[in-house]
Amino acid sequence: MSQPQDNPLLNGLWKENPTFVQVLGMCPTLAVTNSVRNALAMGLATTFVLVCSNGLISMIRHQVPKQVRIATYIAIAATAVTVTDYVVKAISIDIYKALGPFLALIVVNCIILARAEAFAAKNSVGRSLMDGLGNGLGFTLGLTLLGTVREVLGAGSFLGLSLFGPHFEPWVLFLLPPGGFITLAAWLLIFAWYKERKTKPAPSAQDLLDARS
Amino acid sequence: MSSIKIIRYLGLISLICGVLIVGAKVLTEDRIRVNQEIINRDSIAQLLPGADKQLTFIVQPSGELAPLTNVDAKGQKLFAGYDKSGKLLGLVFEASERGYGDMISALYAYDPGSKTIIGFTVVEMKETPGLGDKIGKDPDFLANFRKLDTSKPILAVKHGTKKNPWEIDAISGATISSRAVGRMLQKSIAEIAPIIERNRQIIERGNK
Repeated sequence: MSQPQDNPLLNGLWKENPTFVQVLGMCPTLAVTNSVRNALAMGLATTFVLVCSNGLISMIRHQVPKQVRIATYIAIAATAVTVTDYVVKAISIDIYKALGPFLALIVVNCIILARAEAFAAKNSVGRSLMDGLGNGLGFTLGLTLLGTVREVLGAGSFLGLSLFGPHFEPWVLFLLPPGGFITLAAWLLIFAWYKERKTKPAPSAQDLLDARS
Repeated sequence: MSSIKIIRYLGLISLICGVLIVGAKVLTEDRIRVNQEIINRDSIAQLLPGADKQLTFIVQPSGELAPLTNVDAKGQKLFAGYDKSGKLLGLVFEASERGYGDMISALYAYDPGSKTIIGFTVVEMKETPGLGDKIGKDPDFLANFRKLDTSKPILAVKHGTKKNPWEIDAISGATISSRAVGRMLQKSIAEIAPIIERNRQIIERGNK
Protein backbone atom coordinates (compact mmCIF):
# COMPACT_ATOMS: atom_id res chain seq x y z
CA MET A 1 0.00 0.00 0.00
CA SER A 2 1.61 3.28 1.07
CA GLN A 3 5.26 3.80 0.22
CA PRO A 4 7.48 5.20 3.01
CA GLN A 5 8.24 8.34 1.01
CA ASP A 6 4.54 9.09 0.52
CA ASN A 7 2.83 11.76 2.50
CA PRO A 8 0.36 9.90 4.74
CA LEU A 9 -1.85 13.00 5.11
CA LEU A 10 -2.40 13.48 1.36
CA ASN A 11 -2.66 9.74 0.81
CA GLY A 12 -5.61 9.45 3.15
CA LEU A 13 -7.22 12.63 1.95
CA TRP A 14 -7.05 11.92 -1.76
CA LYS A 15 -5.03 9.05 -3.25
CA GLU A 16 -6.42 6.44 -0.86
CA ASN A 17 -9.62 8.25 0.05
CA PRO A 18 -11.50 5.95 2.47
CA THR A 19 -14.86 6.51 0.80
CA PHE A 20 -14.05 6.62 -2.89
CA VAL A 21 -10.89 4.52 -3.17
CA GLN A 22 -10.80 2.13 -0.21
CA VAL A 23 -14.65 2.02 -0.14
CA LEU A 24 -14.62 1.56 3.65
CA GLY A 25 -17.21 2.57 6.24
CA MET A 26 -20.13 2.43 3.85
CA CYS A 27 -22.73 2.06 6.61
CA PRO A 28 -22.34 5.58 8.06
CA THR A 29 -21.63 6.89 4.55
CA LEU A 30 -25.09 5.91 3.41
CA ALA A 31 -26.92 6.46 6.68
CA VAL A 32 -25.97 9.92 7.93
CA THR A 33 -25.41 11.84 4.70
CA ASN A 34 -28.93 13.19 4.22
CA SER A 35 -27.75 16.63 5.30
CA VAL A 36 -24.43 18.46 5.05
CA ARG A 37 -24.46 19.21 8.77
CA ASN A 38 -24.83 15.54 9.76
CA ALA A 39 -22.19 14.51 7.24
CA LEU A 40 -19.68 17.06 8.55
CA ALA A 41 -20.37 16.14 12.18
CA MET A 42 -20.00 12.42 11.52
CA GLY A 43 -16.84 12.99 9.49
CA LEU A 44 -15.21 15.16 12.13
CA ALA A 45 -16.18 12.78 14.95
CA THR A 46 -14.65 9.89 13.01
CA THR A 47 -11.53 11.98 12.32
CA PHE A 48 -11.11 12.64 16.03
CA VAL A 49 -11.49 8.95 16.90
CA LEU A 50 -9.14 7.93 14.09
CA VAL A 51 -6.38 10.34 15.16
CA CYS A 52 -6.69 9.22 18.82
CA SER A 53 -6.73 5.51 18.05
CA ASN A 54 -3.94 5.70 15.45
CA GLY A 55 -1.75 7.69 17.84
CA LEU A 56 -2.32 5.40 20.82
CA ILE A 57 -1.89 2.23 18.78
CA SER A 58 1.30 3.48 17.20
CA MET A 59 2.65 4.42 20.63
CA ILE A 60 2.27 0.89 21.95
CA ARG A 61 2.97 -0.93 18.67
CA HIS A 62 6.17 -2.58 19.97
CA GLN A 63 4.55 -3.83 23.18
CA VAL A 64 1.35 -5.32 21.73
CA PRO A 65 1.50 -9.14 21.77
CA LYS A 66 0.45 -10.11 18.28
CA GLN A 67 -2.05 -12.76 19.49
CA VAL A 68 -4.25 -10.10 21.09
CA ARG A 69 -3.57 -7.11 18.85
CA ILE A 70 -7.11 -6.93 17.42
CA ALA A 71 -8.62 -7.01 20.93
CA THR A 72 -6.27 -4.21 21.91
CA TYR A 73 -7.16 -2.12 18.86
CA ILE A 74 -10.86 -2.51 19.57
CA ALA A 75 -10.43 -1.58 23.25
CA ILE A 76 -8.54 1.56 22.22
CA ALA A 77 -11.01 2.49 19.48
CA ALA A 78 -13.90 1.95 21.92
CA THR A 79 -12.24 4.25 24.45
CA ALA A 80 -11.73 6.94 21.83
CA VAL A 81 -15.38 6.58 20.74
CA THR A 82 -16.72 6.84 24.29
CA VAL A 83 -14.63 9.93 24.95
CA THR A 84 -15.87 11.45 21.67
CA ASP A 85 -19.43 10.61 22.69
CA TYR A 86 -19.08 12.69 25.86
CA VAL A 87 -17.30 15.51 24.05
CA VAL A 88 -19.98 15.76 21.33
CA LYS A 89 -22.71 15.75 23.97
CA ALA A 90 -20.90 18.54 25.80
CA ILE A 91 -20.58 20.59 22.60
CA SER A 92 -24.13 20.22 21.26
CA ILE A 93 -26.98 17.91 22.18
CA ASP A 94 -28.60 18.65 18.81
CA ILE A 95 -25.67 17.22 16.87
CA TYR A 96 -25.53 14.32 19.30
CA LYS A 97 -29.16 13.47 18.58
CA ALA A 98 -28.67 13.77 14.82
CA LEU A 99 -25.77 11.33 14.91
CA GLY A 100 -27.87 8.95 16.99
CA PRO A 101 -26.61 5.39 17.03
CA PHE A 102 -23.93 6.04 14.42
CA LEU A 103 -21.61 7.74 16.88
CA ALA A 104 -21.39 4.57 18.96
CA LEU A 105 -21.00 2.56 15.76
CA ILE A 106 -17.75 4.36 14.88
CA VAL A 107 -16.11 1.68 17.01
CA VAL A 108 -16.90 -0.97 14.41
CA ASN A 109 -16.30 1.36 11.46
CA CYS A 110 -13.83 -0.66 9.43
CA ILE A 111 -11.73 2.47 8.71
CA ILE A 112 -10.57 2.49 12.33
CA LEU A 113 -9.41 -1.13 12.34
CA ALA A 114 -8.10 -0.94 8.80
CA ARG A 115 -5.85 2.03 9.59
CA ALA A 116 -4.76 0.46 12.90
CA GLU A 117 -3.76 -2.82 11.29
CA ALA A 118 -2.48 -1.49 7.97
CA PHE A 119 -0.71 1.65 9.12
CA ALA A 120 -0.48 2.54 12.82
CA ALA A 121 0.87 -0.89 13.82
CA LYS A 122 3.86 -0.44 11.48
CA ASN A 123 4.63 3.28 11.49
CA SER A 124 5.94 5.97 13.82
CA VAL A 125 3.57 7.98 16.03
CA GLY A 126 3.95 11.13 13.92
CA ARG A 127 3.20 9.40 10.64
CA SER A 128 0.31 7.48 12.22
CA LEU A 129 -1.25 10.71 13.50
CA MET A 130 -0.94 12.20 10.00
CA ASP A 131 -2.45 9.06 8.50
CA GLY A 132 -5.35 9.24 10.95
CA LEU A 133 -5.92 12.90 10.18
CA GLY A 134 -5.65 12.33 6.41
CA ASN A 135 -8.03 9.39 6.36
CA GLY A 136 -10.43 11.15 8.72
CA LEU A 137 -10.51 14.27 6.57
CA GLY A 138 -10.77 12.11 3.45
CA PHE A 139 -13.79 10.41 5.00
CA THR A 140 -15.24 13.80 5.94
CA LEU A 141 -14.72 14.97 2.35
CA GLY A 142 -16.50 11.87 1.03
CA LEU A 143 -19.44 12.27 3.43
CA THR A 144 -19.72 15.98 2.70
CA LEU A 145 -19.77 15.45 -1.07
CA LEU A 146 -22.59 12.92 -0.64
CA GLY A 147 -24.38 15.11 1.87
CA THR A 148 -24.19 18.15 -0.44
CA VAL A 149 -25.77 16.37 -3.40
CA ARG A 150 -28.46 14.77 -1.23
CA GLU A 151 -29.36 17.93 0.69
CA VAL A 152 -29.39 20.19 -2.38
CA LEU A 153 -31.56 17.82 -4.44
CA GLY A 154 -33.60 16.33 -1.62
CA ALA A 155 -34.33 19.38 0.48
CA GLY A 156 -33.34 22.29 -1.76
CA SER A 157 -30.97 23.66 0.85
CA PHE A 158 -27.30 23.70 1.82
CA LEU A 159 -26.39 23.55 5.52
CA GLY A 160 -30.03 24.35 6.25
CA LEU A 161 -30.05 27.51 4.08
CA SER A 162 -32.78 27.41 1.47
CA LEU A 163 -31.30 27.69 -2.03
CA PHE A 164 -34.17 27.78 -4.48
CA GLY A 165 -36.94 29.63 -2.67
CA PRO A 166 -40.30 28.31 -1.49
CA HIS A 167 -41.51 27.05 -4.89
CA PHE A 168 -38.83 24.40 -5.26
CA GLU A 169 -40.33 20.92 -5.12
CA PRO A 170 -37.70 18.83 -3.27
CA TRP A 171 -36.66 15.50 -4.73
CA VAL A 172 -37.42 13.61 -1.53
CA LEU A 173 -36.01 10.35 -2.90
CA PHE A 174 -32.52 11.72 -2.29
CA LEU A 175 -33.10 11.98 1.45
CA LEU A 176 -34.27 8.38 1.62
CA PRO A 177 -31.93 5.35 1.57
CA PRO A 178 -32.19 4.77 -2.22
CA GLY A 179 -30.94 8.32 -2.76
CA GLY A 180 -27.87 7.42 -0.71
CA PHE A 181 -27.04 4.48 -2.95
CA ILE A 182 -27.66 6.48 -6.14
CA THR A 183 -25.50 9.38 -4.97
CA LEU A 184 -22.71 7.10 -3.80
CA ALA A 185 -22.73 5.25 -7.12
CA ALA A 186 -22.59 8.55 -9.03
CA TRP A 187 -19.60 9.79 -7.01
CA LEU A 188 -17.79 6.44 -7.32
CA LEU A 189 -18.34 6.61 -11.07
CA ILE A 190 -16.89 10.12 -11.25
CA PHE A 191 -13.84 9.14 -9.18
CA ALA A 192 -13.25 5.94 -11.15
CA TRP A 193 -13.50 7.84 -14.43
CA TYR A 194 -11.09 10.51 -13.17
CA LYS A 195 -8.60 7.89 -12.00
CA GLU A 196 -8.76 6.05 -15.28
CA ARG A 197 -8.14 9.23 -17.21
CA LYS A 198 -5.14 10.03 -15.03
CA THR A 199 -3.58 6.59 -15.41
CA LYS A 200 -4.10 6.68 -19.19
CA PRO A 201 -2.74 10.09 -20.13
CA ALA A 202 -2.67 11.74 -23.55
CA PRO A 203 -0.35 9.32 -25.45
CA SER A 204 -2.05 6.53 -27.34
CA ALA A 205 -2.18 2.91 -26.18
CA GLN A 206 0.54 2.00 -28.64
CA ASP A 207 2.94 4.49 -27.04
CA LEU A 208 2.30 2.92 -23.64
CA LEU A 209 2.99 -0.55 -24.94
CA ASP A 210 6.25 0.68 -26.50
CA ALA A 211 7.28 2.33 -23.28
CA ARG A 212 6.60 -0.83 -21.31
CA SER A 213 8.56 -3.22 -23.54
CA MET B 1 4.75 -14.71 24.87
CA SER B 2 3.25 -16.60 27.83
CA SER B 3 -0.44 -16.46 28.68
CA ILE B 4 0.22 -14.77 32.01
CA LYS B 5 2.05 -11.95 30.28
CA ILE B 6 -0.76 -11.51 27.76
CA ILE B 7 -3.37 -11.40 30.51
CA ARG B 8 -1.32 -8.86 32.44
CA TYR B 9 -0.96 -6.79 29.29
CA LEU B 10 -4.69 -6.86 28.53
CA GLY B 11 -5.43 -5.92 32.14
CA LEU B 12 -3.11 -2.93 31.85
CA ILE B 13 -4.71 -1.78 28.58
CA SER B 14 -8.20 -2.08 30.08
CA LEU B 15 -7.10 -0.11 33.13
CA ILE B 16 -5.71 2.72 30.99
CA CYS B 17 -8.84 2.79 28.82
CA GLY B 18 -11.04 2.83 31.92
CA VAL B 19 -9.17 5.76 33.41
CA LEU B 20 -9.46 7.71 30.14
CA ILE B 21 -13.23 7.13 29.93
CA VAL B 22 -13.88 8.08 33.55
CA GLY B 23 -11.74 11.18 33.08
CA ALA B 24 -13.74 12.27 30.04
CA LYS B 25 -17.02 11.66 31.85
CA VAL B 26 -16.02 13.68 34.89
CA LEU B 27 -14.77 16.57 32.72
CA THR B 28 -17.87 16.81 30.52
CA GLU B 29 -20.63 15.93 33.03
CA ASP B 30 -21.50 19.47 34.06
CA ARG B 31 -21.45 20.84 30.51
CA ILE B 32 -23.80 18.08 29.34
CA ARG B 33 -26.29 18.78 32.14
CA VAL B 34 -26.22 22.51 31.40
CA ASN B 35 -26.77 21.83 27.67
CA GLN B 36 -29.77 19.63 28.40
CA GLU B 37 -31.29 22.27 30.66
CA ILE B 38 -30.74 25.02 28.08
CA ILE B 39 -32.52 22.92 25.44
CA ASN B 40 -35.49 22.29 27.75
CA ARG B 41 -35.65 25.92 28.80
CA ASP B 42 -35.43 27.16 25.21
CA SER B 43 -38.20 24.92 23.95
CA ILE B 44 -40.47 25.94 26.83
CA ALA B 45 -39.73 29.62 26.22
CA GLN B 46 -40.52 29.07 22.54
CA LEU B 47 -43.87 27.44 23.38
CA LEU B 48 -44.84 30.13 25.88
CA PRO B 49 -43.56 33.42 24.45
CA GLY B 50 -43.32 36.12 27.07
CA ALA B 51 -42.81 33.70 29.94
CA ASP B 52 -40.67 35.46 32.50
CA LYS B 53 -40.51 32.73 35.08
CA GLN B 54 -40.75 28.95 34.90
CA LEU B 55 -41.76 26.50 37.59
CA THR B 56 -41.58 22.73 37.33
CA PHE B 57 -44.14 20.51 39.02
CA ILE B 58 -44.28 16.77 39.25
CA VAL B 59 -47.37 14.59 39.36
CA GLN B 60 -47.29 12.50 42.53
CA PRO B 61 -48.57 8.90 42.49
CA SER B 62 -51.60 10.15 44.46
CA GLY B 63 -52.54 12.47 41.58
CA GLU B 64 -51.47 15.58 43.48
CA LEU B 65 -49.01 18.13 42.13
CA ALA B 66 -45.88 19.10 43.97
CA PRO B 67 -43.09 21.52 43.05
CA LEU B 68 -40.13 19.60 41.70
CA THR B 69 -37.32 19.44 44.22
CA ASN B 70 -35.30 16.44 43.10
CA VAL B 71 -34.17 16.79 39.45
CA ASP B 72 -33.95 13.04 38.95
CA ALA B 73 -37.45 12.33 40.28
CA LYS B 74 -39.51 9.97 38.13
CA GLY B 75 -42.99 10.86 36.95
CA GLN B 76 -44.86 13.14 34.53
CA LYS B 77 -43.35 16.59 34.70
CA LEU B 78 -45.28 19.76 34.13
CA PHE B 79 -43.66 23.08 33.32
CA ALA B 80 -45.61 26.23 34.14
CA GLY B 81 -44.71 29.61 32.62
CA TYR B 82 -45.68 32.94 34.23
CA ASP B 83 -45.42 36.48 32.94
CA LYS B 84 -43.80 39.40 34.79
CA SER B 85 -46.83 40.00 37.02
CA GLY B 86 -46.95 36.32 37.97
CA LYS B 87 -49.97 35.50 35.83
CA LEU B 88 -50.07 31.95 34.48
CA LEU B 89 -49.42 31.91 30.71
CA GLY B 90 -49.67 28.20 30.13
CA LEU B 91 -48.43 24.75 30.99
CA VAL B 92 -46.00 22.62 29.01
CA PHE B 93 -46.07 18.82 29.02
CA GLU B 94 -44.04 16.05 27.53
CA ALA B 95 -45.90 13.49 25.44
CA SER B 96 -44.93 10.61 23.18
CA GLU B 97 -46.56 8.23 20.76
CA ARG B 98 -45.48 5.62 18.24
CA GLY B 99 -45.16 7.23 14.82
CA TYR B 100 -44.23 5.79 11.44
CA GLY B 101 -40.55 5.37 12.25
CA ASP B 102 -40.18 5.14 15.98
CA MET B 103 -41.50 6.90 19.06
CA ILE B 104 -42.22 10.58 18.48
CA SER B 105 -41.66 12.61 21.61
CA ALA B 106 -42.88 16.15 21.81
CA LEU B 107 -43.60 19.08 24.08
CA TYR B 108 -46.88 20.96 23.90
CA ALA B 109 -48.31 23.99 25.64
CA TYR B 110 -51.77 24.02 27.18
CA ASP B 111 -53.84 26.90 28.46
CA PRO B 112 -56.02 25.61 31.33
CA GLY B 113 -58.20 28.75 31.20
CA SER B 114 -59.52 28.31 27.65
CA LYS B 115 -58.78 24.55 27.62
CA THR B 116 -56.87 24.84 24.36
CA ILE B 117 -53.50 23.67 23.14
CA ILE B 118 -51.45 26.74 22.27
CA GLY B 119 -48.17 25.29 21.01
CA PHE B 120 -46.47 22.12 19.88
CA THR B 121 -42.87 21.17 19.16
CA VAL B 122 -41.24 17.84 18.36
CA VAL B 123 -38.32 16.91 20.61
CA GLU B 124 -37.26 13.65 19.01
CA MET B 125 -38.45 11.58 16.06
CA LYS B 126 -37.26 9.18 13.41
CA GLU B 127 -39.99 9.92 10.84
CA THR B 128 -39.20 9.66 7.14
CA PRO B 129 -37.11 12.68 6.10
CA GLY B 130 -38.96 14.92 3.70
CA LEU B 131 -42.36 13.36 4.44
CA GLY B 132 -43.19 12.41 8.04
CA ASP B 133 -40.63 14.72 9.55
CA LYS B 134 -42.66 17.70 8.31
CA ILE B 135 -44.68 17.39 11.53
CA GLY B 136 -41.75 19.13 13.19
CA LYS B 137 -41.42 22.14 10.86
CA ASP B 138 -44.31 22.51 8.39
CA PRO B 139 -45.74 25.98 9.23
CA ASP B 140 -49.28 25.09 8.09
CA PHE B 141 -49.30 21.99 10.26
CA LEU B 142 -47.90 23.80 13.30
CA ALA B 143 -50.58 26.48 12.85
CA ASN B 144 -53.07 23.79 13.96
CA PHE B 145 -51.70 24.12 17.45
CA ARG B 146 -52.08 27.85 17.85
CA LYS B 147 -55.55 27.30 19.27
CA LEU B 148 -56.63 23.67 19.33
CA ASP B 149 -59.78 22.95 21.27
CA THR B 150 -59.59 20.01 23.68
CA SER B 151 -63.22 19.93 24.82
CA LYS B 152 -63.87 17.21 22.20
CA PRO B 153 -61.48 14.35 21.36
CA ILE B 154 -58.64 15.66 19.19
CA LEU B 155 -58.64 14.11 15.74
CA ALA B 156 -56.29 14.40 12.78
CA VAL B 157 -58.31 14.73 9.58
CA LYS B 158 -57.29 14.49 5.92
CA HIS B 159 -55.48 17.52 4.56
CA GLY B 160 -57.88 20.32 3.70
CA THR B 161 -60.93 18.89 5.48
CA LYS B 162 -60.49 20.54 8.90
CA LYS B 163 -63.82 22.07 9.96
CA ASN B 164 -63.90 22.03 13.74
CA PRO B 165 -61.57 23.65 16.27
CA TRP B 166 -60.64 20.25 17.78
CA GLU B 167 -59.45 18.81 14.45
CA ILE B 168 -55.89 18.75 13.17
CA ASP B 169 -55.37 19.38 9.45
CA ALA B 170 -52.99 16.53 8.55
CA ILE B 171 -50.07 16.98 6.16
CA SER B 172 -50.68 15.26 2.84
CA GLY B 173 -48.02 12.58 2.46
CA ALA B 174 -47.54 12.41 6.21
CA THR B 175 -50.93 11.15 7.33
CA ILE B 176 -49.60 8.44 9.63
CA SER B 177 -47.28 10.86 11.41
CA SER B 178 -50.01 13.51 11.65
CA ARG B 179 -52.43 10.98 13.12
CA ALA B 180 -49.81 9.91 15.63
CA VAL B 181 -49.58 13.53 16.79
CA GLY B 182 -53.37 13.61 17.20
CA ARG B 183 -53.39 10.40 19.23
CA MET B 184 -50.46 11.60 21.32
CA LEU B 185 -52.20 14.85 22.26
CA GLN B 186 -55.57 13.22 22.89
CA LYS B 187 -54.07 10.55 25.19
CA SER B 188 -51.94 13.03 27.06
CA ILE B 189 -54.75 15.57 27.53
CA ALA B 190 -57.21 12.92 28.71
CA GLU B 191 -54.70 11.89 31.32
CA ILE B 192 -53.50 15.27 32.49
CA ALA B 193 -56.59 17.51 32.29
CA PRO B 194 -58.29 16.11 35.44
CA ILE B 195 -55.05 16.47 37.40
CA ILE B 196 -54.77 20.09 36.31
CA GLU B 197 -58.38 20.84 37.24
CA ARG B 198 -57.82 19.41 40.71
CA ASN B 199 -54.62 21.40 41.20
CA ARG B 200 -55.59 24.67 39.48
CA GLN B 201 -54.92 26.71 42.61
CA ILE B 202 -51.42 25.38 43.20
CA ILE B 203 -50.52 26.02 39.56
CA GLU B 204 -52.02 29.49 39.36
CA ARG B 205 -50.51 30.61 42.62
CA GLY B 206 -47.01 29.81 41.33
CA ASN B 207 -44.72 30.85 44.12
CA LYS B 208 -46.32 34.20 44.76
